[in-house]
Amino acid sequence: MSWIVRMIVVLPALAALAGLLARRQRSLASVIAVAVSACVAVLGLVQWVAPSRTADITTIGSLPLGDLSVPLHLLSDRLSGLVAFVVALVVLGIQVFTAWYLRDDPRYGQFAATVSLFASGMLLLVQSGDLVLLLIGWEVMGWCSWLLIGHDSERPAARRAAYKAFLVTRVADIAMVVGIVALSVQARSTDLMAVLTASGDDTLLTVGLVGIIIGVAGKSGLVPFHDWLPDAMEGPTPASALIHAATMVAAGTYVIARLFSLYAEHDGARTLLAVLTAVTMVYAAMLALAQTDLKRMLAYSTLSQVAIMLSALAAAPAELGPGAGISQLIGHAFFKALLFLGAGWLSVLAGATALAALRGRLRPTGALRWSMGMGFAALAGVPPLIGFFTKDTVIDAALEGATAGGGLRAWLVVVALFVTVALTAAYCARAWLLLDTAVAASGELPEAAPAVVAEEHVAVVTTADSADDAEVERVHAHGHAAITLSAALVVSVLAALTLVGTLFLTTLRGGLHLGLVSSLLSLLLVAGAAYAVWSVSDRGRLDVADRIPVRVRESAVRGFGVDTAYVGIGRAVTAVARLVVVLDRDVVDAYPRATAVVARAAGRAGERGHRAVPSLSLLSLLAGVVLVAVLGVTAWR
Amino acid sequence: MALTLMLLLPLLAAIALIAIPGESTVERGIALGSTVVTAVLAVVVVSGRHEVDVPWIRSLGVRWHFGVDGVSAALVLLTALLTVAVVAHALSGPIPRGGTGSTFLGCVLLVEAGALATFMARDAILFFIAFEVVLVPMWVLVRRFGDDHVADETRADAAGRFVLFTVLGSTLMLVGILFLVHHQGTSDLAVLAERHGAGLSRPLQVAIAAMLLLGLGIKVPLWPLHTWLPSAHTIAPTAGSVLLAAVLLKMGTYGIVRLAVPTVPEGVARLSPVLALLGVVGILWGGLACLVERDLKRLIAYSSVAHMGFVALAIASGSETGLQAALFGNIAHGVVAALLFFVVGDLKEQWGSSDLHVARAALRDKAPRFGLALVVGLAAALGLPGLVSFWGEFLALYAAWSPAPDRPVALLRACVVLGAVGLALAAAYALRVARIVWAGEGSDAAVGAAAEPVADARGPRWAVVMVLVVVIVVLGVLPHLLLGLSDTATTGLLSGLGVSP
Repeated sequence: MSWIVRMIVVLPALAALAGLLARRQRSLASVIAVAVSACVAVLGLVQWVAPSRTADITTIGSLPLGDLSVPLHLLSDRLSGLVAFVVALVVLGIQVFTAWYLRDDPRYGQFAATVSLFASGMLLLVQSGDLVLLLIGWEVMGWCSWLLIGHDSERPAARRAAYKAFLVTRVADIAMVVGIVALSVQARSTDLMAVLTASGDDTLLTVGLVGIIIGVAGKSGLVPFHDWLPDAMEGPTPASALIHAATMVAAGTYVIARLFSLYAEHDGARTLLAVLTAVTMVYAAMLALAQTDLKRMLAYSTLSQVAIMLSALAAAPAELGPGAGISQLIGHAFFKALLFLGAGWLSVLAGATALAALRGRLRPTGALRWSMGMGFAALAGVPPLIGFFTKDTVIDAALEGATAGGGLRAWLVVVALFVTVALTAAYCARAWLLLDTAVAASGELPEAAPAVVAEEHVAVVTTADSADDAEVERVHAHGHAAITLSAALVVSVLAALTLVGTLFLTTLRGGLHLGLVSSLLSLLLVAGAAYAVWSVSDRGRLDVADRIPVRVRESAVRGFGVDTAYVGIGRAVTAVARLVVVLDRDVVDAYPRATAVVARAAGRAGERGHRAVPSLSLLSLLAGVVLVAVLGVTAWR
Repeated sequence: MALTLMLLLPLLAAIALIAIPGESTVERGIALGSTVVTAVLAVVVVSGRHEVDVPWIRSLGVRWHFGVDGVSAALVLLTALLTVAVVAHALSGPIPRGGTGSTFLGCVLLVEAGALATFMARDAILFFIAFEVVLVPMWVLVRRFGDDHVADETRADAAGRFVLFTVLGSTLMLVGILFLVHHQGTSDLAVLAERHGAGLSRPLQVAIAAMLLLGLGIKVPLWPLHTWLPSAHTIAPTAGSVLLAAVLLKMGTYGIVRLAVPTVPEGVARLSPVLALLGVVGILWGGLACLVERDLKRLIAYSSVAHMGFVALAIASGSETGLQAALFGNIAHGVVAALLFFVVGDLKEQWGSSDLHVARAALRDKAPRFGLALVVGLAAALGLPGLVSFWGEFLALYAAWSPAPDRPVALLRACVVLGAVGLALAAAYALRVARIVWAGEGSDAAVGAAAEPVADARGPRWAVVMVLVVVIVVLGVLPHLLLGLSDTATTGLLSGLGVSP
């Protein structure tokens, strides 16, 4: 069975290589990408259904490194089987959808190959039983995200977003690397089992756990590292779906879940995680409510939802395990992939992603309308969709943590969760009302010149809308092509999964864990928030977000200037760099130059000393000395 | 026999090439043939762990004593194989102006001969002699065949700097060697390593270690002794840059591992905080300088300073993992810097300069081969896991976090954090280059010739670049190919058991 685990990691990597070689033959490239991801999905299913519970699947052999043991094992259990299967499923869907979505893109081959490599990175992370392998998967995903976000590298905004995404996550990875080093030093091994059972130095453990939390905060977009994620919408929509749904952004949850038994014992690290997630989930949900662009709204909702996953790990009691967080990961994977792919489909129909341009566009679209509706309902947490179960599992786990002595940390998470539930329902209701309410007042359908509509109707035109430009450009270049059956099927299957996906969670320990009171309370909050939005927006005729004062809204759309802060840090580092260059030239290099000057001066002085013609007296003196010497020597003999 | 032949072949070929001026197919054949044969011999010698030991200068007690062991095996292979690449690359394009083609090739071969001898010398005096052989041919490469877009004075300055810095370094090293040999009564490196500093008082050890580290540190180069490197790299022709980065710099770190670490262990331990600090300052200094550097070749030179900082940090840790990391990082940097210099050298040849502020057409679609090679090189330069540099850097950080018992733990751990910051800086500068050159930041403003896409890599040049890309990926995925080579050797160096071939 262990070959299945290995294959799940290796096959996508080989597909990436083959896809890169075959990038010129479009159909071949897409066959490779789709066929291999289908294979991996099947293998993932096998691994999940019949998991071989083993933690020592060898890969390339252990590294000879003196006192450090690096066995590079893979690990397989029910958890990794389930997550690997879900990841493979989502990747398969995205590959199929991409084949249609980027049908005319000259770089389709590269894109599909990068998606395969990305999947390989995520699957390696999921299967890894070794911190080094985990780090490899982690960083490979980061690199692929740079390529995917910067796919349309002709556009400056895409180049900037890609750079920003990689750099912000990499800065957080400073802590991740230090953390992993600290944990492996403590265990004298990078093997996950050894790390989990190692005992000893408390400082090392703290450094390790906190470092990994900071690294996770970078990739998962916790405050203050969150701002790269909305900008990452510059990538083509399938890339956004991939990054958000089941892979990079959610990967941190899996990492912390793997190390959960260490975190459960460490209150300090968990408090940090609780504060970060509580702040992020509320803040991002509020920003999602104010967005003017559908994709950016979904991005902020991802931030909020990922924070919910992580908060489960921060608050759940030790005996409950990490199941609640993983359950939210899986639920989120389904409905967020659905929403992104649906948004991609809709944007091709409408030629825009700005909400103003999309108003009422969902109504005449049949299957897409149903699918998006289910997606939003799942995101909001409406039963019986998966979002309801996963979210309430998290709430219940946090409540249990709070009552079982989790103290302030767990209560903070509980309160934040309830606030987020209401906000999530509110922004989902808003989005649905905007997309689905026919724009009846004007009478004209926005079919005419969608791009112009996009520009005129956007209440707040900011740089934040440039994700929309990408879409507009794409449609202008390639036209409104009808969706292929397979791509439509992907969206429908994902929609179905938001309904039946809950069954997946039954195999997960602690994956479904609902409390009656908390479920009722959250249902009440969802219904109340949705009703409030419905009535405030006058049954969908208005945009709720227009009620927000313009200045506040404008800065909310821009993410409250966090980007400016990043730029400020960048400027500061650049200023230091300039100083370094000046010092390098004028101080460090001054000594060699000074030495050269001194040597040259000494040489010149010496030359001058020798240039003069010797005086006659000196010459006769010398001649006399020689003469006396000669005479003396001969006389002696 | 194979070993002596392997050392003499490039030497004799070089002498022949320099002696016969001109540029005909014969010279080209000699150059390519001898490097290929040398590379084959190198593989034979390394796989068979050959050794040769005969008396040479009897009056001085110097012996013709060469051999391969785990510490040097990878470097020997790197040098021999890379020279084939350098010669193939040089022959497939115009020889840089400044002299005849045979002189150029002869100098390349002479550098190879010297480097191979350095990596295989088993005698301290021999090591020094071999170390010096590379100096003059490299000077010729920089001075005569250097970038002809700049003033003659600039070339003279760069070449002069290179020679004066390195001569100063090797003089210091020679003094250190002489001290060592005088007090131990032998110049045999194996014996010196076995004694492991026995019989030397601690102050003496510190003094010898200081001289060796200072002298070799110039070659590495350690901050603040690095200022010769950027100018030499910028001016040198592609072949010179590649050899400089991939081979000459390695002689410095190899020298520290071979000459200083096993012979004066206490001295090195005493000085390791300084070594670690200089390494880390180099990491940050090089990384920061790369963020604003305009010249692409200079930028890669500064990134070399940063990467060699990790090697210095690993050596300073004094643990076995540290030495493994240092030797791995050495090779990794050699391969990556070689790839980057090949690509950038070709680009500079076509662009006429390597100024990043000149708006130019993007490589991504117009020259996909160069684009791929550049992106892989940059990904490796930022230490992307799965590529070769990651292992050296990650293991260096691990080793510095848990150093040998006699090292200052707190200081080294602080160095680890700063070194990790250097990883983020590396990402920033590598992606800066990728954004400008590959993705075409600012390419809209390109006018005239700069707006024309460059001709893509073809023929042998593409093959050379591709082989390096493959090596970077393969060694990144299967690091124990290299780690296995040096495994037992590092144990010997640290414990004083000596290194058995």
